[in-house]
Amino acid sequence: MSVYINSTGHFLPGPPVSNDEMEPLLGLVHGKPSRLKRRILQSNGIHTRHYAIDASHNTLFSNAEMAARAAEHCLTDSFIGKRQVKMLSAATSQGDVVLPGFGSMLQAELGLNDIELYNSHGICSASMMALKAAFTNLKAGEQPNALVVASELTSRLFKASRYEAAGTELDFNAEFLRWMLSDGAGALLLESQPRGRCFRIDWIRSFSHADAYPVCMSVGYPTDSNHSQSWQDYATYTQAEAAGALLIRQDVRLLENIVKLGVDGYLRLIAEGRVQPDKVDHVLCHYSSHYFRGKIFDMLQRAGAGIAEHKWYSNLYSRGNTGCASIFIMLDEFRRTQNYKTGDTIICMVPESGRFNNAYMQLTVVEA
Amino acid sequence: MTERLLSPQGQQCLQALMRVWFEFERQLGRVPLLQRLERGQFSKADYCQLLQHWRQQVIEGSRWISRCASSFDRDYSDVRSTIIGHAREEHRDYEMLERDYVAVGGSLTDIQQAPRNIGTEALHGFLMYRAGQPNPVDLIGAMWIIEGLGQKMANSWAAQIDKVTCGDGSYTRFMRYHGTNDDGHMQKLYQLIDRLCQSPAQLTAIVRTARVTARLYCLQLEEVEHEY
Repeated sequence: MSVYINSTGHFLPGPPVSNDEMEPLLGLVHGKPSRLKRRILQSNGIHTRHYAIDASHNTLFSNAEMAARAAEHCLTDSFIGKRQVKMLSAATSQGDVVLPGFGSMLQAELGLNDIELYNSHGICSASMMALKAAFTNLKAGEQPNALVVASELTSRLFKASRYEAAGTELDFNAEFLRWMLSDGAGALLLESQPRGRCFRIDWIRSFSHADAYPVCMSVGYPTDSNHSQSWQDYATYTQAEAAGALLIRQDVRLLENIVKLGVDGYLRLIAEGRVQPDKVDHVLCHYSSHYFRGKIFDMLQRAGAGIAEHKWYSNLYSRGNTGCASIFIMLDEFRRTQNYKTGDTIICMVPESGRFNNAYMQLTVVEA
Repeated sequence: MTERLLSPQGQQCLQALMRVWFEFERQLGRVPLLQRLERGQFSKADYCQLLQHWRQQVIEGSRWISRCASSFDRDYSDVRSTIIGHAREEHRDYEMLERDYVAVGGSLTDIQQAPRNIGTEALHGFLMYRAGQPNPVDLIGAMWIIEGLGQKMANSWAAQIDKVTCGDGSYTRFMRYHGTNDDGHMQKLYQLIDRLCQSPAQLTAIVRTARVTARLYCLQLEEVEHEY
């Protein structure tokens, strides 16, 4: 049985926020402008993004609300209504509440009846894991359709007050993601029958390497720690926050591993015969292309496995890096705005730096 | 892309060697000593221990590569020239390593008297055996791993060792030295892959030797912390 992505949708809160507007909105930490901002923005190449909070740090849309709007946008474009949705598969790195699962909150927000529910938790690859669960469920004939939604509201972590509560000095690793991540949601509708021009999911595969690498992106460890204590081990959350255990961090020293592992997974898929580099028509990759230049990509080119630059599509630079929602928001905009034809092969790649999980998917454009 | 692409056989080989390398990096990531280095729980004494065990490999390294060069017959005289040049460049590298050992506080006698660990025995035994075969084309796989490791030392380990032991670079010279002229070395390796990988059987042999070398190298590093 084949599974098709018959519709897509997205929600990006508020107007686009330019690089110059970011800091006034997120706030000056200890009243001082960031010295790292320009460098980090230059390297990620993002020029606009969206935030679900305003300059007074009111939350204008909750994470579940954003997810629901993306899902509604997706359904508006489809042949089915809310009453026909049979499965909801949801992904986020952090819901509005710690418990219950994000999917439950989203289901209530959307008003879906009697559905089968799946929650996926992680960082950027969480959406691909949610998608795989829905894909295999349909493939097994358990359900005829599934709504897959990924949403992120990280800006709440980037308020100046959060950094101030964690002490005086702001280290590079704690500040890095403040200039990288932003808010948004994306949704896909999967059905076991194709409708109109749609994308058939050929396969979804992921390779996780947490056993071989340290943590690269995290929330929950205090500043300068050896990771023996987490935010939950403090007597109070106030103490945890003061120790920096609630800040989101990226260990930038380890970032280059994501490129290597991304290439490794891609080469494995070639060796398995799943990917044929010369047959790929479009590549959608959730990452700043800045990191995908350099030595390893030269090597890939020499090894005859490179994919021409004009085949790469990304809207990261205008929509921002929205964590696990990015790949759905990218696929949605690709579907609505780009030129592709029946029979085209699309490769989607999501390298996650959390603790190194890389997900890949191949789609074929079909016409029902 | 200005550089010449490899032959289709060479490209297949490069793809496979890249995968062997990434697998090797994951194997290294599971070695307890290197995990501690990553976490910052790594002392000067650990570094001394590492150099002490490493020295034997560096000394033996220059021997197998010289033997490898001499095992290529007249049909491969161009390859022989390249490999002799490489052996000549590196055959006294261990002296730099010894100077680092002394600079970090070790005694020259200690490092010179240190025996080979069992991983080094296995790696050396394997490489010397392969190097003695006629036209040991597969050893390009071993060179791939060892060259890659040199670059990894220079680009990541040296700085991390200095950072966590509060060093100033004065005792990580051997590791850093391998980062110089990276591109030239890679160019030579690509040429050798193109020249030496011309059949599926050669590809299989090259990849196998790369994998064995990688595994035994890891064994050598795992053994650094074993006391007898």
